[in-house]
Amino acid sequence: MTTPAETSASEVASIPLSPEFGWGWLLALAASAFMVLVLAYSIGALVFIGVGVWGTNVPFVWGFDLTNYVWWIGIANGSTLFAAILVLRRHSLRTAINRFAEGLALFAVICAGIFPIFHLGRPWLFYWMFPYPATFEVWPQFRSPLTWDFWAIITHLIVTTMLWYVGLIPDLATLRDRARPLAAKRVFAAFALGWRGSLRHWALHQRAYRLVAVAVIPIALVIQSTVAFEFSVTLVPDWHETRLPLHYVVSGLESGLALILLAAAILRGSLRLERYISVEDLDLIGKLLLANSLVVGYVHMGEIGSALLAGSYTQTATINRLVGDYAGLYWGAIALTVLLPQALWSPSVRASNPGCILIGLGVTAGVWLDRLSIVVGGLQRDYLPSMWRMYAPTQPEWYLYLGTIGLFAALFLLFVRYLPVISMSETRHDEHREARS
Amino acid sequence: MAQLFRPGANTAFRLGIIVAVSAVGGLLAFSYFYVRSDWFWRVGVTAAQPIPFRHDIHVSGIGIACAFCHSTAERSAHAGMPTAHACLICHSQILQGATMLEPLRTSVALGQPIVWASVHRLPSFAYFHHGAHVSSGIACETCHGRVEEMPQTHKVNTLSMGWCLDCHRDPANHVRSAEAEIAAQPGMRRLSASKGQPIRGSPLRAASPLTNCSVCHR
Repeated sequence: MTTPAETSASEVASIPLSPEFGWGWLLALAASAFMVLVLAYSIGALVFIGVGVWGTNVPFVWGFDLTNYVWWIGIANGSTLFAAILVLRRHSLRTAINRFAEGLALFAVICAGIFPIFHLGRPWLFYWMFPYPATFEVWPQFRSPLTWDFWAIITHLIVTTMLWYVGLIPDLATLRDRARPLAAKRVFAAFALGWRGSLRHWALHQRAYRLVAVAVIPIALVIQSTVAFEFSVTLVPDWHETRLPLHYVVSGLESGLALILLAAAILRGSLRLERYISVEDLDLIGKLLLANSLVVGYVHMGEIGSALLAGSYTQTATINRLVGDYAGLYWGAIALTVLLPQALWSPSVRASNPGCILIGLGVTAGVWLDRLSIVVGGLQRDYLPSMWRMYAPTQPEWYLYLGTIGLFAALFLLFVRYLPVISMSETRHDEHREARS
Repeated sequence: MAQLFRPGANTAFRLGIIVAVSAVGGLLAFSYFYVRSDWFWRVGVTAAQPIPFRHDIHVSGIGIACAFCHSTAERSAHAGMPTAHACLICHSQILQGATMLEPLRTSVALGQPIVWASVHRLPSFAYFHHGAHVSSGIACETCHGRVEEMPQTHKVNTLSMGWCLDCHRDPANHVRSAEAEIAAQPGMRRLSASKGQPIRGSPLRAASPLTNCSVCHR
């Protein structure tokens, strides 16, 4: 006799265990693998020729590298924070999105980490950021944002990996039991760490999972604020602002939610997971994204208001960002992160896959424009008029950026192919509860 | 269902963890001691020189002062190497036909300096000024050791940045009194200070600490 819970598990498990995955997946993987090659090429050019291949120069010492780093880490923070809250609240939405949201966060951290390392000029000495007993007897400068980046990324990588992996353990055991080839069984078994599903295992697992989730919440907020402080501690007029952490946390969460919405819509369409990622789930994420976009709009208004009140250099710099050479970035960000999500007021948009995909893509791109507007547009009117010039990313910078998108896509495609994208254990848990009540 | 692993798999897994952790720990410990070893810094290693010059004979034996040959040590960044002419002040009379002094005569004939092999060589990003150190009361031997006893010149200190900082953080212990200075190095006579005190006007008394990055990295 098969219970409904077992059926649901076998449906989800059949995705990573199926021998064929179709040409669509292969094509997508080939395309993203090509972009990973582009990434390798741009990193190679950077290492062998030097940072001169980038368009960054005084005053734009942080061009694409910091823009993209802040963007990726925002996505990671947003999605991991959201996933952790769902775990702690035991919200029904967690069965649908937690697994892939945690995955998205992990892959985004990996992409984020590339930029701070390779913007160092001599990336092979990145370990100097770590306080180890070196023969030059000097500790890293703990007041430097560079060291903050180091700790932020390391911490993020560890915590996000733990959240993702701890959640995966029971499902890895399910895959171990259902896989046919012996080699696959053994690989799943090794990563399942001898999971037998005893009561003691479940109790410990729940405790560990929730403990990591509790840790994620302050860490995600602190790390996102740290990223903002990297800007705030400078004396650049447009950056030297206490409101910046709030701006980064709020828009970071928005990019995370948008990517979750995007991934949810793609996955339920392409893998026929409508039963697990239901219209109600999309509807909930859509509403959250809508609320978040309103908060982002509020933060932007506060930003303009406080800059106008501040007067002097801050005012000049902010007005320049609004109407100057880089005004397109700012208003593009407003259009995509504040105005576009207003379409989510309509229930039919929230229920439609293409609508969710478009809005997800739009908001993610909008947050990127916002980061670029701050990093580049914020620097354009510095104190010294002799430094007033323009920044344009060079080809290697574009390749590096597109390459990380390719890396992200490749990791996500492999994850979809070889691991369950829906948490089977949590789904079974909820289905049992429903059956009982 | 058949078992996936042998009964010993758990033990092997745990053993693997222990081995991996201790391998990483061992590697770190090895690196820690390796980068501090004399071998790593080539301490005590001599270099093949064009002329088998012996400091012990020239300094301890004959009593030539350091500054006689390294004449710019008191005032410029480089201590200076003697020209072939400086050597020939004596060697035009002593050992004048010796084959081992052939590079000396070639140098004069061609007008080319003798290519000595450096034993104390700092990387180019470290800005070292001999004059600043000597005029502040740092003795030659504080860094170079008892060169007057060396048949072949070699390093006695690592010259690592940490070694530089040991003194820059607390210079007072490494500064010799002027009397001792003059007694030890008859060539260095311009030094004048009361005993045990850093010499007046030296950077040791300056407000900016010697541990500032820009003191050595400019």
